[in-house]
Amino acid sequence: MKALTNVNATSFAEAASAAQSARQQGQAVAFSGGGTDLLQQIKDGTDNADVIINLRTVGDGRSIGSDGAAVAIGGLVTLTELSQDPLVLSGLSAIAQAAGSVGTPQIRNVGTLAGNVTQRPWCWYYRNGFNCFKAGGNECFSVNGENGQHAIFGGGPSYIVHPSDVAPALVAFDAVFQVTGPDGDREVSAEDFFVLPITNPERENSLAENELLTGVRIPNVSANTVSTYHKIMDREAWTHAEVGVAAVIQRDGNEVQNAKVVLAGVAPIPWRVQAVEEFLAGQQIGGAVAREAGEIGIQDAQPLSNNAHKLPMITTAIERAILNLAAG
Amino acid sequence: MSEFTREGLEPLATLGNDTPRIDAIERVTGQAKFTRDWKLPGMLYAKVLRSPHPHARIVSIDTSAAEALPGVRSVITYENAQVVWGAGSVNGGRQYNDPTKDATIHRRYIFNNPVRFVGDSIAAVAATDRHIAEEALTLIEVEYEQLPFVLEPEQALEEGAPQVYAEGNLCPDFRGEFAPMVSDIGDVEAGFEEADQIFEERYETGFIHNAQMEPRCSLAHWQGDKLVLYSPSQGISNCRHDTARDLGLEDHQVQVIAKYMGGGFGNKNQNQDADLIAATLSRRAGVPVMLEYSRREDWLGVHGRWPTVQYYRVGVKDDGEVTAMQMRAYSGMGPYRKNSGGISGMDAYGCPNRYREIHPVYTNRTTSGNFRAPSEPHGHYGVENMMDEVAYQIGMDPVEFTLLNMRRPTEEQQFTNYSLEEVIRNGAERFNWPARRRVIPGSDEGPIKRGAGFSFMMFRAGVGTSSAIVRVNANEEYTLYVGVTDIGPGAKTTMGMIAAEALEVPLSQVEVVWGDTDRCPYSVGESGSRTTIMTGIAVVEAAEDLKRQIADQGMPSGTDVLIASATPRPTTDGMTRQCFGAHFVEVEVDTRIGTTKILKYTTVHESGRIINPSTARDQIRGATIQGIGQALYEDLLYDPQSGQPLTPGYYRARHLTHKDIPDIDVHFIEVDDGYGPFGAKTAGESGIILAPAAVANAVANAIGKRMTSLPITRDKILGAMS
Repeated sequence: MKALTNVNATSFAEAASAAQSARQQGQAVAFSGGGTDLLQQIKDGTDNADVIINLRTVGDGRSIGSDGAAVAIGGLVTLTELSQDPLVLSGLSAIAQAAGSVGTPQIRNVGTLAGNVTQRPWCWYYRNGFNCFKAGGNECFSVNGENGQHAIFGGGPSYIVHPSDVAPALVAFDAVFQVTGPDGDREVSAEDFFVLPITNPERENSLAENELLTGVRIPNVSANTVSTYHKIMDREAWTHAEVGVAAVIQRDGNEVQNAKVVLAGVAPIPWRVQAVEEFLAGQQIGGAVAREAGEIGIQDAQPLSNNAHKLPMITTAIERAILNLAAG
Repeated sequence: MSEFTREGLEPLATLGNDTPRIDAIERVTGQAKFTRDWKLPGMLYAKVLRSPHPHARIVSIDTSAAEALPGVRSVITYENAQVVWGAGSVNGGRQYNDPTKDATIHRRYIFNNPVRFVGDSIAAVAATDRHIAEEALTLIEVEYEQLPFVLEPEQALEEGAPQVYAEGNLCPDFRGEFAPMVSDIGDVEAGFEEADQIFEERYETGFIHNAQMEPRCSLAHWQGDKLVLYSPSQGISNCRHDTARDLGLEDHQVQVIAKYMGGGFGNKNQNQDADLIAATLSRRAGVPVMLEYSRREDWLGVHGRWPTVQYYRVGVKDDGEVTAMQMRAYSGMGPYRKNSGGISGMDAYGCPNRYREIHPVYTNRTTSGNFRAPSEPHGHYGVENMMDEVAYQIGMDPVEFTLLNMRRPTEEQQFTNYSLEEVIRNGAERFNWPARRRVIPGSDEGPIKRGAGFSFMMFRAGVGTSSAIVRVNANEEYTLYVGVTDIGPGAKTTMGMIAAEALEVPLSQVEVVWGDTDRCPYSVGESGSRTTIMTGIAVVEAAEDLKRQIADQGMPSGTDVLIASATPRPTTDGMTRQCFGAHFVEVEVDTRIGTTKILKYTTVHESGRIINPSTARDQIRGATIQGIGQALYEDLLYDPQSGQPLTPGYYRARHLTHKDIPDIDVHFIEVDDGYGPFGAKTAGESGIILAPAAVANAVANAIGKRMTSLPITRDKILGAMS
């Protein structure tokens, strides 16, 4: 493993300016929250960091609380904390379920909310050192290669799938992402935080250099809101979603007033299926409606040569997620 | 749950009792010293430079910058260190045969040019720490001329395919002839003419890595002209002999020490290239050298189970009698032949007309070699799915079909004992086979479908030569010297228990000395499920000799000792000796998303007398878990365009986690056939042989579609259901 410089940051602002000054000296920089994935990436050579800005020494960003209008979750909250927090469990259960489905207990005990949301893709080309778009190259090797795990929505020119379970749940709850950079703080909606490869094939989000995600705010949900995260994995643990569905519904009895449905594991960003949301509004939750919602969910799908098996998985996952949200 | 049926067996004092491993405390308290834990004064750390290309010729290599890096002590390459790794490639895959190694046509060196797979080694560096060694690798400049590559064994035999060797891609046999392995029994064409129906199918299996927890490593330390090698070997005696051969030494000039190791599963038979590289660097640097492989290197640089393509043709009469069985198959060996490429399973049938033709083929994938039951699980998967399909096609219960057609003792070939029918019937009853299997496959209503499958086997439990020494002192303290290592099955404890039983003393009075070729006599090695039988027989004989000495001379007094040794050459009197097993599995398949869940798993094995029930049970469970992995999860995927591996390592290859492992019921029917130590047979490899076949049959029974390639992933199930 190459020699690294470790910088213990005591605040997010300090972390951002430390990153900026290191970059100004020509060094590659990485922020480290849990570090569960970063160290392996450095060992594998897929991350070329010279300087690690350690965020475990930052005091802020570790709490979950309500400010009256929103639930604020610090970026350094661990996935275990997120999955067990009473406030999250009571109103935002899709987020708790998503966090609890990540990786393994060891990863969840160390991995953070911000790290999970901003983790790099797990595409086997990128991770095996291919010089693809994500590595700064000019090609997506999955197009003519092994693409069984790749995107069927929103792909091109890169066909990675966004690996986060928590991110789709945050999008479904209209979370606001809080970002700190060398020039101060800014807020961005969850939907605008993530960017498609057509906009920037190298990155998955709109964080600028030296910016980091410090937390999220989730506007208060109404009392009739229910939510769920349904994840299909290729084994029972230590794996990413092949297909995930975060669904947030406001309902009156069993009638849907408003729905948000966001998919994981199928697109380069958390993928909102608005056609499903529009269809569900005004419907009574039941078997036929859920099934039709699932079918609508794949209307715009564009499978590659070897990933059409995701289509029945998506229809089934949407159907099962919605049935999960039936009253009583 | 587990149960041991011992009808008619006389109970013994030590054997047959659940016994904790005698080194359990050392292991769980961290006192056990594994190879990587050794630190010797002045020790250097080594790293290996590997090919990034599947096939290339090295035009030039420049190590000057690496040599100039402070801390670097030695750099060796294919140019200045041409050492043949004899066990790395052998004509016919005959690993234990010196004349064949001498005559091998396609030799593997510790460093190779041309390079023939991603991960092929070309150079190594020894430096004062790991990081310097790693940095030095990046300073070695290599110019490659890339060559065309081929990944699939069938494609490799096509006209115009890229040639891994000038002689072509069909591997030479042990005689050095480029011919497939053929077994021709009876008259297969006549058998097909006799048949009422003929069935054909193609089956395919993937590359599986042994995935032992401890990657390969080796610490070499020269003391004058003697090489001391700390190496996690599955067979210290064979490792010593092979290392001496490869380095031009006499056996006595090499000492191999393998005390504790983190598993092997066939990945650590014989000597390793790591041993030879560490030894070569150490000799040049004049100090001890530790070489440790990373997980990725271990996955790609060593070997795993060979991928196969198997074409079957089976003729059957309307009453279920099989009249002909034919197989043509291809095994992908990678570019070096470390093992046979065998595909077994057909020989478990009594059908008099059987033709088998296996083509071991060179490819530019990583090397194939030993893996727990090297030729069996993929072969049994193919044969047992073929036969299961035939049974359902002719409307028979596969268990009844098996009982009608399986191999049984004949006048020409007697067995030391034969309990296969009892094993199968016992398993069918425990599992409640008639209630769990679907007479019409796939007949469950709705998308969630259940079904059951079974498989059976017999597996070699032959006897052979190994050695043991037993000593007793005046305090009645016994010391047993056996050249075993402990790769997981608990050989050290097992040998101690056999000695205690034979000596008629408690296990606490027996100390076991193991894992060191300078202190222990020859042992066969922890491969081929042989140690318990072969070294066990030697222990019994040595103990009997010692008891005779004690009877003649009395217990030693003062500082005297009595010593006995044995190197028996046992036979089975012309009979074949086999262990037997049957697995029964119930699965539930969610056909909407292609998920397979195992609901019930019942195993019944006859492995002779069980020495230590707790470790025997764990052997069956552990092996079954590996077999389930092969059936449903594991594969090493390659990018067809670049020839690069995409799924090395535990995460990508999708090994089962604890949450994926079902309850596995283990039952032993115990017998004593009069051979082997107190009647013990083999257990270590048995479990893995049956799991892929049984699981795949269960999936077919649930969904009504035959799954003809492993692993049975959801895309295949969804493809079949759409």
